[in-house]
Amino acid sequence: MEVKLDKQYPLDVDADRAWALLSDLKATAGCMPGAEILEQLSDTSYKGAVKVKVGPAVAQFGGTVDVIETDAATRTVVLRGKGADKGGSSASMDLTAVIAADPQNPAHCTLNGAAAVIVNGKFAQFGGRMMVQVSEMILAQFVENFRQTALTLPAASQSSGTSVDADSAPVDAAAPEAPAKPTPQVATEINGLAIFWSLVKGWLRGLFGSRG
Amino acid sequence: MNAPTDNAEARELALAGMGASRLRKEDARFIQGKGNYVDDLKLPGMLHMDIVRAPVAHARIKRINKEAALAMPGVHAVLTADDLKPLKLHWMPTLAGDVAAVLADEKVHFQMQEVAIVIADDRYIAADAVEAVEVEYEELPVVLDPFEALKPDAPVLREDLAGKTEGAHGKREHHNHIFTWEAGDKAAADAAFDAAPVKVSQHMYYPRVHPCPLETCGCVANFDPIRGELTTHITSQAPHVVRTVVSLLSGIPESKVRIISPDIGGGFGNKVGIYPGYVCAIVASIVLGRPVKWVEDRIENISSTAFARDYHMDGELAATDDGKILGLRVNVVADHGAFDACADPTKFPAGLFHICSGSYDVPAAHASVKGVYTNKAPGGVAYRCSFRVTEAVYLIERMVDVLAQKLGMDKAEIRAKNFIKKEQFPYTSAFGFEYDSGDYHTALQKVLDAVDYKGLRAEQAAKRADPDSPTLMGIGLVTFTEIVGAGPSKMCDILGVGMFDSCEIRVHPTGSAIARMGTITQGQGHQTTYAQIIATELGIPSEVIQVEEGDTSTAPYGLGTYGSRSTPVAGAAIALAARKIHAKAKKIAAHLLEVNENDLDWEVDRFKLKSDDSKFKTMAEISWAAYNQPPEGLEPGLEAVHYYDPPNFTFPFGIYLCVVDIDRATGETKIRRFYALDDCGTRINPMIIDGQIHGGLTEGFAVAMGQQMPFDAQGNLMGNTLMDYFLPTAVETPKWETDFTVTPSPHHPIGAKGVAESPHVGSIPTFTSAVVDAFSHLGVTHLDMPHSSYRLWKSLRDNGAAL
Repeated sequence: MEVKLDKQYPLDVDADRAWALLSDLKATAGCMPGAEILEQLSDTSYKGAVKVKVGPAVAQFGGTVDVIETDAATRTVVLRGKGADKGGSSASMDLTAVIAADPQNPAHCTLNGAAAVIVNGKFAQFGGRMMVQVSEMILAQFVENFRQTALTLPAASQSSGTSVDADSAPVDAAAPEAPAKPTPQVATEINGLAIFWSLVKGWLRGLFGSRG
Repeated sequence: MNAPTDNAEARELALAGMGASRLRKEDARFIQGKGNYVDDLKLPGMLHMDIVRAPVAHARIKRINKEAALAMPGVHAVLTADDLKPLKLHWMPTLAGDVAAVLADEKVHFQMQEVAIVIADDRYIAADAVEAVEVEYEELPVVLDPFEALKPDAPVLREDLAGKTEGAHGKREHHNHIFTWEAGDKAAADAAFDAAPVKVSQHMYYPRVHPCPLETCGCVANFDPIRGELTTHITSQAPHVVRTVVSLLSGIPESKVRIISPDIGGGFGNKVGIYPGYVCAIVASIVLGRPVKWVEDRIENISSTAFARDYHMDGELAATDDGKILGLRVNVVADHGAFDACADPTKFPAGLFHICSGSYDVPAAHASVKGVYTNKAPGGVAYRCSFRVTEAVYLIERMVDVLAQKLGMDKAEIRAKNFIKKEQFPYTSAFGFEYDSGDYHTALQKVLDAVDYKGLRAEQAAKRADPDSPTLMGIGLVTFTEIVGAGPSKMCDILGVGMFDSCEIRVHPTGSAIARMGTITQGQGHQTTYAQIIATELGIPSEVIQVEEGDTSTAPYGLGTYGSRSTPVAGAAIALAARKIHAKAKKIAAHLLEVNENDLDWEVDRFKLKSDDSKFKTMAEISWAAYNQPPEGLEPGLEAVHYYDPPNFTFPFGIYLCVVDIDRATGETKIRRFYALDDCGTRINPMIIDGQIHGGLTEGFAVAMGQQMPFDAQGNLMGNTLMDYFLPTAVETPKWETDFTVTPSPHHPIGAKGVAESPHVGSIPTFTSAVVDAFSHLGVTHLDMPHSSYRLWKSLRDNGAAL
């Protein structure tokens, strides 16, 4: 089953810091809940793993990530990830991520992500109906981790204040204060209970929203 | 000791023979949980098998690493296609003349295909070890649509057939083409169309569904290396055929192969074929010298064992202005999946699809069926029907409705106008079948009267006139003819073995008896009904007649139970075996009474003197004498074997009417009424017939209203659990009303035609007919199944009928 995502996440991070993080695949992967880079195979190829937990079911995808393109001028990376889980599922993802500076506010930028995710096997069969919602949840957690990690990076040029704009946060929870700690805040695995709760909320919203 | 009463009627009642609603002998053990299924079997030293399956639908296998699995404690073996190669068992022949991979050989052709097997101490270790087998795939483009598959630049699915332009059923026109099979007279049909004033055509898709028996498939293979004997308990509807195939594949003499089908938890065609799991378990048992059990889970059953249908059909009818049918043309594109593993008689790659002229006197007809490979699981079995008859009946019944709609005629009227008349039987159809007997007009009238058809139509007209009516009302009518009892061996064989069936009866000295059969019951109640035939034929109470089936070491060779063939074929074998015993019993009676055979009359359970009612010998007395003082020149004992090769098929028929109310706001459909009249010829056990009809109608309801096997673009089957795949329970199932007429088969020894599949075959188009009828005033001529609420809600919106 194939899911196409095209998302824009406004961030309260300047474009240079965001790009510094995005162009470092290992650090970016660290922001993906449950994901880690295990080994660098070549200049552009990595071995990685993603662990997804939904309720009692755990899927552990192992595979490779290839950096197809990195363009600092347009602040664009193109990635291709492929993996399989021992329980009879496989997945692949083509992702194009772009950091776009905010012309109004140099301290802000937008993370644009366009992804095509293909899932095969049990994961598609059982999880198919929730794929879009789960993917969105995972991405929202990723963006929040990305934002917090980027904020801990040293500012590239003159800092233009670190005011937190709650409206720009893509997750509905109020954005926490900018962390003072330099270590990235990274979820160790995708939190199934949080996903479930978010799905229920999304479903309820959809239920009443469409009738309104 | 023999004659409780002289009253013949009372004695006949006491026999509980044909016509008695005798309670099912099987139920005592089933309702107490004392059945004996394959998975109940536990042998000392038994190992367990599980299967590594492909997560993708089309891929090249680059590498299989089994080291980690083999290193796990309790794992005995991990086998792949490479391990089966030296035994030449990595591929196996199918019933349709193709080959199928036992374990994926270099390439995966469908999702959930068998890639490797693991043998371990228990089921849990085997399942864990399956996860430890690493398989690396290189994915290939997936082809799921048979029309796409036939495009010139479509990916080659079956590389093993490269360069093979001749298949088992003629020329292959394309690398994904299997066969094109034709029946009827094309020139005559075309001429009829050219001259006809009225023509209609309709495209329809009969979706891929799965028989989904409650018990999944499995086996326990037990090879004894000391004796060189292989015993396998298996979920098979045709154990004798399995024995022959296993012997041919393994090289073990057929006399040392014993196949046992114990209690079977439903088959519906799903348990006719030979699956890779069986072959692997048998190989593993031979290799390891220990019993090996394999039982698939529900997901494996729905995903990888035989599906049914998947026919893309185009029908055309030519007719006069007043609705007399002049010609029929049918074109089918049949999606057979990755391997052609249809279970059909060898000569008929589209089964008996050419029964598609139905109950009607169609002067000219032609049908063409094109089989195509796709990246889906193989199969194409007869799901509770005779081979492809469900598809055929669906097609003709839909087409007659479409024609009636075009002409503004009533559905009942157009049918009555085109029926084969009672006096036309035996009737030879344009496709060459000789229909044995029928009386369609009488049966139709009985149904129309029973439901007050005119009243229903008036109610429908009133509802249509009311713009605020909360529901759309639809009336479905189907007048179908089945073809069952395959079959005459001059036409039908499986792997070269003629489709006869057999019975062996032994009457014991004390007057009880045992019958052994080549068929195998899967819920049909053979142990009950077969005994009733013998009871009537031989005057032995059915209560003391044992019926045994399914053990190839004790039962005579038979082709098994599917296609409603048990009663038409095996039922005839019983009657004729009984008649052999009857003839010998008469000789013994004459000897005991010291008269000539011609002086004797048969009465219920005894031979009596024509001239003197008080002089008689009962069957019990005769049985004793057969072992005690047989006449000179006559061998002792009272046994007979009969192999019955039917002279023709039988043609049961039925008239089904259904009333639905479709909620205009939600698309939810209520089956308000379903009236099923069946004519299966002579009725052996009315209670079992009713039960079979209820079951068949319920399965038909499931197919029409909810069952489907949807695939996404990557070939993932999105409905392979019972959470998604619709199996109706008592909650969803409508109320059924049944009725009957009796038109015996003239060529069958007891006039019986077979019944269990008619309700499935007949009801599916009835539901569609009713649903489409609800929309017909809006110009809708056809809606594809399943008629789920969501799909009907969309139809309501598309046609401006939604509230």
